[in-house]
Amino acid sequence: MIQVRLAAPRRAARVTGLILGAALLRALLLPAGDLLSTMVFAACLVGISRFERASATNESRWGSGRSIVAGLMVGAILLVPVVGGALSARPLGAFLPWAAVAALVATLEETAIRGVLYRRLAAEAGTVVAIVVGAAVFALIHLPRYGLAAMPLDAAVGLALGGLRALTGRVLPCAVAHTLADWGAWFWA
Amino acid sequence: MRARRAGLLALALGLIAAALLHGRMAAPPVYDGIIVPPEPYRWESPPPNLASGNKPPLSGEATLPIQNGQVAGGGVQTGDNQVVIYFGPGAFKAPGGATGVKCSIAPDPNPPASPAGVEIRGNVYRVGCVGEPGGGLVTVVSPYHLTLRFPPGAFKEIQYDDGSGWRALPTLTAPGGDPYASVNAPGFGEYAASAPSGAPGPSIFSDLGRYLEFFGILAFVILFGAIAIFQEVRRRRHRAPAPTKNRRR
Repeated sequence: MIQVRLAAPRRAARVTGLILGAALLRALLLPAGDLLSTMVFAACLVGISRFERASATNESRWGSGRSIVAGLMVGAILLVPVVGGALSARPLGAFLPWAAVAALVATLEETAIRGVLYRRLAAEAGTVVAIVVGAAVFALIHLPRYGLAAMPLDAAVGLALGGLRALTGRVLPCAVAHTLADWGAWFWA
Repeated sequence: MRARRAGLLALALGLIAAALLHGRMAAPPVYDGIIVPPEPYRWESPPPNLASGNKPPLSGEATLPIQNGQVAGGGVQTGDNQVVIYFGPGAFKAPGGATGVKCSIAPDPNPPASPAGVEIRGNVYRVGCVGEPGGGLVTVVSPYHLTLRFPPGAFKEIQYDDGSGWRALPTLTAPGGDPYASVNAPGFGEYAASAPSGAPGPSIFSDLGRYLEFFGILAFVILFGAIAIFQEVRRRRHRAPAPTKNRRR
């Protein structure tokens, strides 16, 4: 029993380190191009989700349909402050490949942070710690690209997504909300 | 139940904080660190093949206070972010009695003719400041920073015309192929991107690079999508109970 309790935080710390390391690697590879650095980052997240997967918990989970609706609502709320702005002139034809990559990376990030990391932290340190640490990791992995100025907003969004994870018991609504919020940047950024 | 209450509270707090923090940002961020491609260049006088989809360029304006007799530092940018200027405190000298300085950047529909051997690329922008109230003369004491977006195609340097003719300025271009260039602007007047006349536009290799990038992104999505689906199918198979044989025996 003692071994389990000691091992769990070490594993949570390892997952945290791996996710932050993937983000750092991505930042270092950025001069080689956005595509390559994003691919390496995605591959790292796939690896983390695959090899660090925690065993299933007994938390209650919302159904898929209800989870998707919750994710869409949270994503829409995240976009409310910006939809009043002028629409961008970006061509719709180029949106699809960009949107697919954004959705994929958003889903992988959620699988790693709100999936693997959340489960490990929640099992050992509790839900609140899992939500707060997940928000901090979410803000930190975006630091190299957006700088310190964007960290408070990223932490706030991470907090909301962590809350959504705890409320629904699933990663799916977090991925939906995250993806929808990302897609808004095409139209209003 | 406790986890759900904590989740609901975190969700509410996060959304409220995000809404408050969003108000300070001009545009929604992408929470994945993926670059959003820039909007198409807005032309004042678009080439014929781009005229149908062109949106007119926007101007920008800001009034900056005078503190202790000095114009406070600040920045001005056009609404479409095609020109951004930034200056430190004391960069401009305002007329006596002025309480502020109004700076503006506007695309010039009737710019001066291009210098010989040089082609102006994209829009010509007029940058100027006047004292407020009264519109008194403001002079530049030290150079300020100007960043200009240029359209796709050839680019060499930024040109400046203060009324006495165009001259090239030492220009820094953004890394990674971003279509932005910066100069230490010496004064008010006209600014424009330029290239030598007849300079080649995008080569076949740059076109090829764009296609490779597009199909690279598609390949990337298909590859990782397939991996994710494969893993999910395997996970579900492992979770499903093994079918029992000879149940009726």
